[in-house]
Amino acid sequence: MATIELQNLTKSFGDLVAVDNVSLKVEENEVLCLLGPSGCGKTTTLRMVAGLEVATSGDIFIGDKNVNNLETRDRNLAMAFQFYALYPSLTVAENLANPLHAENLSDEEVKKKILEVADILQLKDIVNRKPHQLAEGEKQRVAVGRAIIRDPECFLFDEPLSRLDVQLREQMRGQIKEVLSDLKKATVIVTHDQLEALTMATKIAVMRDGLIEQVSSPHDIFAKPNNTFVAGFIGTPQMNILDCNISEINSSIIKIKVLEQEVEIDFKTPLSVDKNDNYFIGIRPRSFELVDNNAPDNFSGKIELIENMGSEILVHVKINEFTFRSVQSRSSKLSIGDNINLKPKKGQVHLFNKDGEVIRNE
Amino acid sequence: MKKRAIGHAGWLWTSLASVVAFIYFFPVLFIILTAFRSRSDTLATPPKWFFTPTFENFYHIFFRSMSNSTEYVATGFHVYFFNSIYISGMSVLLALIIGTIAAYGFSRHPLRGNDTYLFIILTTRMLPPIIVIVPIFLIFRITGLAGTYTGIILMYTAFNLPFSIWMMKSFFDELNTEIEDASRMDGASERSVFFGVCIPQVYAGLAATSVFALILTWNEFLFSLLLTNKLTRTMPPAMARTIGGEINVDYGLLAAMICLFIIPIFLITYLLQNQLLRGVTFGTIKK
Repeated sequence: MATIELQNLTKSFGDLVAVDNVSLKVEENEVLCLLGPSGCGKTTTLRMVAGLEVATSGDIFIGDKNVNNLETRDRNLAMAFQFYALYPSLTVAENLANPLHAENLSDEEVKKKILEVADILQLKDIVNRKPHQLAEGEKQRVAVGRAIIRDPECFLFDEPLSRLDVQLREQMRGQIKEVLSDLKKATVIVTHDQLEALTMATKIAVMRDGLIEQVSSPHDIFAKPNNTFVAGFIGTPQMNILDCNISEINSSIIKIKVLEQEVEIDFKTPLSVDKNDNYFIGIRPRSFELVDNNAPDNFSGKIELIENMGSEILVHVKINEFTFRSVQSRSSKLSIGDNINLKPKKGQVHLFNKDGEVIRNE
Repeated sequence: MKKRAIGHAGWLWTSLASVVAFIYFFPVLFIILTAFRSRSDTLATPPKWFFTPTFENFYHIFFRSMSNSTEYVATGFHVYFFNSIYISGMSVLLALIIGTIAAYGFSRHPLRGNDTYLFIILTTRMLPPIIVIVPIFLIFRITGLAGTYTGIILMYTAFNLPFSIWMMKSFFDELNTEIEDASRMDGASERSVFFGVCIPQVYAGLAATSVFALILTWNEFLFSLLLTNKLTRTMPPAMARTIGGEINVDYGLLAAMICLFIIPIFLITYLLQNQLLRGVTFGTIKK
């Protein structure tokens, strides 16, 4: 049982800084998701933990032991790879057995372990097949199986579900989460899929351009984004973020001038802001209520486009050259060209300063 | 429009292709037939297509009368045959071993200015070999390598190395490096990553590289002519000596030599044909 700790970890390739001064801690029992757009340095971070990439500077601790100078094989970790990395010439059983070779187990013990893992991941019927005879989902399960067959200190997953189709992904997400919660180890998962991160992680670290933008629980990262990047990156459909000016402050109710409309917004708690300064306002598409009459506390605009999302509809509302997105229920009977009034829900509006950092009062 | 199934080009195209194939194969066929003709049949015009085959020419490769005497003496041709096999075999093996290790290094642990090194290696193949023959001849004279097996084997190894490095590098570049990382995670040392994970995945590349290198070495004439002596001579200069120097060219004898000369390469290419096909189409098959 061990923790993973990164201290001021930096990796540069020539002039390019792929990972910039990253510090993180993953506790026992915790599943940390490194989430970010492609090229943000999340996989490089993971590979440095695994010892497959040498850090330019900084320290990595696994179970309070500095592993900077340890070879991959001496770090006692297990990793599942994006492209599964199964040995093409070995059967599923042999692939699963491979990590056990270093442990000097008897044949019986190896067999027992293979059966155990095959049982957990439903691989029993395919243990004698070779990787090229497997479906994507099966390959993925074998890759996970190979990671969990040993009893390593920690687990690392590199985009484990990115190659699966949507349905299989949903199924595997649950399965991996279940397996991980039984293992009770420090785990790091790299992903660019926010849904994957939000469902599987106990803690999410959002990365951009080699920097950690925010580390929080899945709920907090969604409900309390630290800056405009996290706010825009997490959540679908994307948050509406736009420039605004504050014209009046009245305790928790702040009058904001946005898109040439003055709107009173109730932030629930008073915020320390200045009048007339430039701010950004962020409202999620699901944080709007549809109201009948235009009032000081709502926006009004014209419906430009309606996207069908199944049980809900995504309404594009045009207000002074800017298009707001708002999710409404199918039963709202809206149609293109309608003028509607949208009222932001209380306490669900985010205010950011000029640098994009959130203004919060807690 | 009538839809044609893949794999059926139709009789017209098939026969056209056969005709073209036959035109290409005809000289080879002619040589093979000549090898089995008697001396008088060889020189007949128009060529005789139906004749009584004879092994006379093959016998003459190894035993024949020299310088106008009627006594048959051993020509020592079996030595040249052995030399060709031994020298090409050893140099290809050496080039393959060194080339594979170098290619792995170039592919997985690139140096600063990796491409420059690779380009310099390639430039050695851009020069026609005849340009460097004088300095090489002098080096061989001074070092005493001229006429030795070591000398010509080293020469051919150097000759094959650039090709082996480039070819093997492209095979290593094709591999999914995640598999290597996975075996590192599984506790493999760098040595076992190379031997246990990488090498088994490039068998086709090894086969293709060795066959191509073997054909180049087997056919090589210039260096062998200048750097070997009577004991270490390979087949191509030995065959050339059969044409030159004598008053009449014995075409039957030459054809028989060519037949013998083709056999080893033919066998190896035939045995490795599956690997070769995969080898020459590398890069075109989806991972």
